[in-house]
Amino acid sequence: MAETVVRRILGRMSPSDEEIVINFGPQHPSTHGVIDFVTQTNGEIIRRSIPDIGYLHRGLEKIGEAVGYPGYMPFTDRIDYLAAMLANEGYAIAVERLLRIEIPPRAKYLRAIAGELCRISNHWVAVGTMASDIGASTPLTHALREREAINDLLEELCGARLTFNYARIGGVAFDAPEGWAEKILRYLDHLDSYVQEYDRLISLNQIYVKRLAKVAVISREKAIAYGLCGPNLRGSGISWDTRRDLAYGAYPEFQFDVPVGQGKMGAVGDCWDRYAVRVLEMLESSKIVRQALAKLPEGEIMAKVARKPKPEAGEAMGRVESARGEMCYYVVSDGTENAYRVRVRTGSFMAMGIIEEMSHGLMIADLIALIASLDVVAPEIDR
Amino acid sequence: MKITTALDSTSLTTRYPKTALATTLFFMLALPFLLYLVLLLMLPFNRPEALDAVAQRLGWDLGHSPLRDTWYAVILLVEATIVSLYTAVFAGVTTWVERRIAGRMQSRIGPNRPGVFGFMSWVADAVKMLFKEDLIPAEADHLLFRAAPYFSMVGLTLPFVVLPFGESVVVADLNVGVFYLTATSAFVVVGILVSGWASNSKWALFGAVRGAAQVVSYEIPAGIAIMVPVMMAGTLSMQGIIRAQGGWPWQWFACQNPAAFVAFFIAVTASLAEGNRTPFDLPEAESELVAGYHAEYSGFRIALFLMVEWANMWIMGALAVTLFLGGWQIPGVSVEMINQTRGTDVFPTLVWFGWQFASLMVFAIKTWLLVILFIWLRWTLPRVRVDQMMSLCWKYLVPGAFACFIFTLFWVMVPASVHLVSGVVLSVVVALLLVKFALRTRKNIAQVKGASVDLSNW
Amino acid sequence: MPETVRNYFGAINDVVQTFWQGLSVTLSHMFRRPITIQYPDRTEKRVADMLPSRYRGFLEVDMAVCTGCLACARACPIDVIKISVDKDPANPKQRVITQFDIDESKCMFCGLCVEQCPTGAIAHTREFESTVRVVENLVFRWVPDAAKPVPFYRPVKGQDAPRASVGSIMRAYLVSQVWAAPAPDWAAPTAGKDKG
Repeated sequence: MAETVVRRILGRMSPSDEEIVINFGPQHPSTHGVIDFVTQTNGEIIRRSIPDIGYLHRGLEKIGEAVGYPGYMPFTDRIDYLAAMLANEGYAIAVERLLRIEIPPRAKYLRAIAGELCRISNHWVAVGTMASDIGASTPLTHALREREAINDLLEELCGARLTFNYARIGGVAFDAPEGWAEKILRYLDHLDSYVQEYDRLISLNQIYVKRLAKVAVISREKAIAYGLCGPNLRGSGISWDTRRDLAYGAYPEFQFDVPVGQGKMGAVGDCWDRYAVRVLEMLESSKIVRQALAKLPEGEIMAKVARKPKPEAGEAMGRVESARGEMCYYVVSDGTENAYRVRVRTGSFMAMGIIEEMSHGLMIADLIALIASLDVVAPEIDR
Repeated sequence: MKITTALDSTSLTTRYPKTALATTLFFMLALPFLLYLVLLLMLPFNRPEALDAVAQRLGWDLGHSPLRDTWYAVILLVEATIVSLYTAVFAGVTTWVERRIAGRMQSRIGPNRPGVFGFMSWVADAVKMLFKEDLIPAEADHLLFRAAPYFSMVGLTLPFVVLPFGESVVVADLNVGVFYLTATSAFVVVGILVSGWASNSKWALFGAVRGAAQVVSYEIPAGIAIMVPVMMAGTLSMQGIIRAQGGWPWQWFACQNPAAFVAFFIAVTASLAEGNRTPFDLPEAESELVAGYHAEYSGFRIALFLMVEWANMWIMGALAVTLFLGGWQIPGVSVEMINQTRGTDVFPTLVWFGWQFASLMVFAIKTWLLVILFIWLRWTLPRVRVDQMMSLCWKYLVPGAFACFIFTLFWVMVPASVHLVSGVVLSVVVALLLVKFALRTRKNIAQVKGASVDLSNW
Repeated sequence: MPETVRNYFGAINDVVQTFWQGLSVTLSHMFRRPITIQYPDRTEKRVADMLPSRYRGFLEVDMAVCTGCLACARACPIDVIKISVDKDPANPKQRVITQFDIDESKCMFCGLCVEQCPTGAIAHTREFESTVRVVENLVFRWVPDAAKPVPFYRPVKGQDAPRASVGSIMRAYLVSQVWAAPAPDWAAPTAGKDKG
């Protein structure tokens, strides 16, 4: 199947005598997973680069029709394992809308805290791997070190470090353990003072800035036309954040800014803007977590839900602001205990569409910078 | 509770600490020192006159017989071989130093299990590489594929002939030493190009062509910047340039001439580019080209390429130290003083050997400090892009080097007292900058909540 | 003209500043403690004992308090828990568990089974180290011999089930595990109903 797709891609390329067609991937250190970019290039300048996806397809949407509503929750972890809490939350919201139940406020706050911590963790990986793709390996290990602290925090909460399976239909699985809030606040104090050092190491490093400024500028119109979302959209100057504009859960009660790209180092919508939006979002998430911990209400963490829920036939959407963009879960129920259809729309999949358009005239090093700045992960694209 | 696996998890170092320590000390001290000592002992026989004097002492009459020339050639060959062995040992030890430094800079420990402090990891790697399967791609050009590492090796080992290690410790002090060095070190690019082409892989070709463009471009600012100390010393010979400097920092060429100060940085940058070190490691950009020009190499062949890259750092460092940082000059000790202790006998006195050893150590320490600077730069900076690398060379380094060159043309006509004043001023400025840097480093730790100076966890 | 000159020297100044800042940051990290935990032999305690109590490691089952409700087997989305129940031949009123296998090689450690257990018989431990030569030996058999089945536990109203401390059973199991054990010969299907 992949062979036919590649042949079709190759059919669209007609290299002249001075051009070659090479494969970036699927095994490549910088493609953020198993993605193949078939690139037609004249030495360093690329003519076009078409992504060939599907190497990590695991049939996760089909699995949604087989395991029942509560049983699907661990699989949502695997759709985006770097931001698993947010993926869990999206599915839970969709099914809760199908069942027409309200979850207790403490559960909403806990989901928000866990989700924002997960967003910080994901953005650390994003900025770290981006720096590593540009050639600086030290910022990667520093970012992963910072992420380890969050892994430890979430491990105390739910017992896992990557595939959390924390949200449940009707609430959350575990309550905050003793002393957890103090540990989080200690980490956030450290984070707020550490980001300036990370900026001095890499974000404001002139070599790094010159590699990313004015590279692959995505204009506002293109960003909307190609359906980009999340930090990619905000990097192009459009201020849209599902947490603020289609607020869900506990988000209406928090005060936070939505950072957008301002073209500080070059043009609005270049790679540096998308990178900077992620760094600033980490600080905003830190603000949200502090507010949530301060206002955390007492009470139950789970609503009353049947062990094997059978919602009425119907459909529902759960839209959350995942770390990589807006994640939409469209769940259709036919009245039985298995869903009829689970459809997941992820930010990385939308970002794949713009790569071919943006790749005209880029150099190979710039293509790497573009892919890294879009923060794509293969499991989100292929599911 | 013991983990019930078949493999014991404690390392050999933990189980046999005394053996580990002994082996480590042997490799760490004996190998380089043995090399140095043998080199030192061969010094008296380094020149034909000395050889004649020894033969006379022993009662042999060699005259100009072929035996005497053969004997002289054999000694030179042995010295050159020792120096080549030194490149291999240095390359190995540098990998260990780099991995440990890189580790701690990245909040992790480098290799610390094989040998004490992980020192034997390079020996283990070398042996491992020997045992790996030697793969040659079917469509590759077999002859060129096999020959390519040797071109690079030639470019690595030839320059060691003129590199000075101590006051008289040099294989051959050619009177065109600097010229010879820049010429032969350019051989490495032949190996890069040939390996990229012969691999029959588009990725390797990318790396090779980038590498060729890079090295060829950066030869220009390197050459011009190197001309600055040559003009100040008036000779192309490496030992001559060092002898024109002194031991104290204000007597180094880098401080004696503001243009030489700038030329030092230009020369170091250009050397980094020629040695394919970050921020100029485009030919082997791991995150883009997956190992670039040596992508298809495995086993011992790639060990040769990697050895070239690491041992090249010694050449880069030694060149900068020789030309700009006073070489082996010991502070407070002049060359005449050392010569006076030689004695009139054929064999020099022990004191003379002691001074040679001291000059050896001074040179080694200075070069090692520069090598550590190169390692430090690698693990701090990202990579530049191809066009940025070219524009840096042609728009910034070449005009800068020319400007330094022309400035020096006039500077050498100025009296020596001005040189001394410039030396003192620049030394003081550098010392102040170093202090400011240390304070900034300490402030880094203070500014981050939860960070503290902690030298544990090795 | 002055604009370009300013940009030119400004660029050089920017690069020098960049080097200064970057080099000082990395040098400062050389003096901080690396966060590496030198597993497994240079830690103060066993790593499994340093993990938080909610850590989702291997599943252990305290058969003494298992009620045979099969909720865990039904909750598992990938069916790695296989339980067989039967009537006790000696005592028809008593039901017994003849097979309780958990395939740890396929388990995804999601914890859905643990949530459904009424007595806490099945629980996640903090153990995570188990390597065996033959992957079939990663099926942990909590009823090792079908000929010696375990009776259902009858919960007492108002009292917590007397479950052994979490992790003790697993530690004993792991110590008895032999790495190079041969592949198991599968027990023949039991006469009773298979569930799960």
